[in-house]
Amino acid sequence: MALSAQDKILYVANKLGLSTLGQMQGSTGAVYDVDTENTGLLFSNASKHAQPTVTNINENKFEVNEALLVESLAFYAFDNSDNNKRVVNLASQLGSDNVVLFDLVIANKRVMKDTPIFVAGQPGTFASVALQLAGFAPDTTLDFAPRHQIFMEGAGILIPPQVEWSINYRIFNMTTGAASPFSSQANIRLGAYLFGTRVLLNFNTTI
Amino acid sequence: MSQVGKLGYVDSKLGAPTSGQQTTRVLFNTVTPAAATSQLAFFKNFNGLTNGQTNLTQNKLDSMESMVIKTIWLAQYTSGFIASFGGQTQQTLSIIVGNQTVVKNLPIQFNTGTNGQSFDRLHANAGATSNIQGSGFEGQVDLPCEIRLLTDIVIPPQVSFEVRIDGGRPYGTNTFVCALNGYGKIFSAGASF
Repeated sequence: MALSAQDKILYVANKLGLSTLGQMQGSTGAVYDVDTENTGLLFSNASKHAQPTVTNINENKFEVNEALLVESLAFYAFDNSDNNKRVVNLASQLGSDNVVLFDLVIANKRVMKDTPIFVAGQPGTFASVALQLAGFAPDTTLDFAPRHQIFMEGAGILIPPQVEWSINYRIFNMTTGAASPFSSQANIRLGAYLFGTRVLLNFNTTI
Repeated sequence: MSQVGKLGYVDSKLGAPTSGQQTTRVLFNTVTPAAATSQLAFFKNFNGLTNGQTNLTQNKLDSMESMVIKTIWLAQYTSGFIASFGGQTQQTLSIIVGNQTVVKNLPIQFNTGTNGQSFDRLHANAGATSNIQGSGFEGQVDLPCEIRLLTDIVIPPQVSFEVRIDGGRPYGTNTFVCALNGYGKIFSAGASF
């Protein structure tokens, strides 16, 4: 039988000596952040970012007895100009032969390594036909908005309480091999979601 | 057998380390063939490729790394835009791990539409007609070709591997990318997450 999300959380918590994590509130959650500074880092500078337009966290670590089992990651482009602050599909800002290479780092350990996000659409994401768009004139063929998401294999990866995490990334053009940073496009920045089973602090006593 | 179980089983049979950080692994490699070439060999030549064209430096995983291939993703870029892989002709794919062919002459397109797509119903939105959309458009009418394997294939540590595509016609000087997507392990000293 496959390991459930809850089993994985408790397994890692036990290994790390987090004896009370299993008594906390289980939930579903997502954290997101945008690299508005264009430093190639996501979540590291979240404490400086506006909520909820840019991020939904105060710092890039969870408080005591809170955690997130990352079961899916997704990337998007963010229009950071003053009037818009819009979330848009990566394919509307980068050519289809571009790739975002990223590492997910928890504490000082890299838990996802040189993972590519293909602007033309990520492996395993064509199952849904929900992203069809009307064709652009004069072409009336049905179009598809590619997804830039990874559904984690296995049971996911746990971000434990009180441990910093971040994503570092680089953008390349696969045809030329050259770096293809967003900095060439004013006000467009990279954003990311981490989605999965969440553990929330729950006091089982009066405070 | 689950992918996690299969990786552990094969690693232990080969005497490979079974510890490490469990993760999702996507390996990719880019090929720009000579115009007359009718065969593509991915994960064979890394000479001159940048970090944006491959995320490996040799055709094998490190000593503490291994992975299970769940899907194979293939894309062709013509003048920088996504295009139908191999120009809609029938092509076959083989995967060689060590000196063993583990996937043999598997046709990559099931002709459900102009573009052709893989066999399984997970990718039922295939068959878009050929067109080009670039930056500035959210949508695209061509899709990468993706094949989901029914039997998970393991790449053990320190064993060379290669993906070959045989086509009946020259591929031209386009850019071709192959990605192997699945579950894997990477080196981790001590506790893993």
